[in-house]
Amino acid sequence: MFDEDAVERVVRYLRRSVRIDPALDHRVMDEIAALPAGPAVPAGGVWQWLTGRRLALTPLGAIGLAAAFVVAVVGVWRVRSTPDSVEPGVRGFQFVLVEPHAANVSLVGDFNDWDAARTPMHRTAGDGLWSTVVPLEPGRYRYAFLIDGRLWVADPTAPTTRDDDFGAPSSVLTVGGEGL
Amino acid sequence: MPKGRCDAARGREGIGGVGTSDAALVRRVRTGDTAAYADLVARYRDRLGRYALHMLGNREDAEEALQDAFVRAYRSLARCDDPERFGAWLYGILVNRCRTTGARAARRARRFVSDPTALETAPLPGPAEQTEWDDIVRWALARLAPDAREAFLLKHVEELEYEDIAQLTGAGISALKMRVKRAREQLQAILKEAEHV
Repeated sequence: MFDEDAVERVVRYLRRSVRIDPALDHRVMDEIAALPAGPAVPAGGVWQWLTGRRLALTPLGAIGLAAAFVVAVVGVWRVRSTPDSVEPGVRGFQFVLVEPHAANVSLVGDFNDWDAARTPMHRTAGDGLWSTVVPLEPGRYRYAFLIDGRLWVADPTAPTTRDDDFGAPSSVLTVGGEGL
Repeated sequence: MPKGRCDAARGREGIGGVGTSDAALVRRVRTGDTAAYADLVARYRDRLGRYALHMLGNREDAEEALQDAFVRAYRSLARCDDPERFGAWLYGILVNRCRTTGARAARRARRFVSDPTALETAPLPGPAEQTEWDDIVRWALARLAPDAREAFLLKHVEELEYEDIAQLTGAGISALKMRVKRAREQLQAILKEAEHV
């Protein structure tokens, strides 16, 4: 009775349809409704907050910026700021993208649960520059940029990683305790 | 290629050829129509639930993994590069959630453990106590190592190609073929054991 045919019988048995309690749908949607929403940046707008701060461009970022303007496609780099308003040990990191043709750009990463709605990037007039600042504690963060809600862009100037869950490449930012 | 494999890998199976496509629903969710996500959940609930149920062995854990997978997918929908393949992308998330849930269940000293010694001594119901085929199948699946059970289910029950399974699990194709072969041999032995009890 229990031979190779039995294994096939097991397979046929397991292929039967399974019915999961439809109440699960409501539990999922309730949990989604309870997720935090809204921008994770200070009131008044990122750019307004950003322009009041002193920024330092990393050499790598400068190279990326120049390349981005020359190629006029997509360039990504990071700039660091140290705003006064954040908590001790937390620094604000500016993320910048040059994408003149984008209608909207979001920053997604471990720091905002990969939620595209939480960290929209803001465009400066005319130059195709998108920017946002995120306060980060020391740690390792994965991040990427989402262009027009569909195009996933990892940071070409930063190490990339392949996420276990989602399969898409993203970039890695390590924030040290003293300087980056 | 088994019928339906291609569709399953592309996340289009079960739609029935009517209604809104996965890609259209994903786009609606991305533009703020959260309710559209309920359609995706309903569409994939039973199909993914089958894998979770067989992989984890009980409904409580399966529904926990399934719910977690749906919520994680929603939160990360921006990372779904190809909305046409939403189903395959969601499958990958569920496989990982099942691994996490299964590992947690093993730590609770429940049914599914990878340690062979613990497997032998785990408080599984004996075949003599099983009178129904369903119980025998569940009992046999529970005896497989998690990686073998995962590969066996994805290959033979969900009918995915090895290339797709490799992408979902991160394992190499050769390793996956070995796991499936081992799972079939173990199932044969387990079922034979059940026959003699």
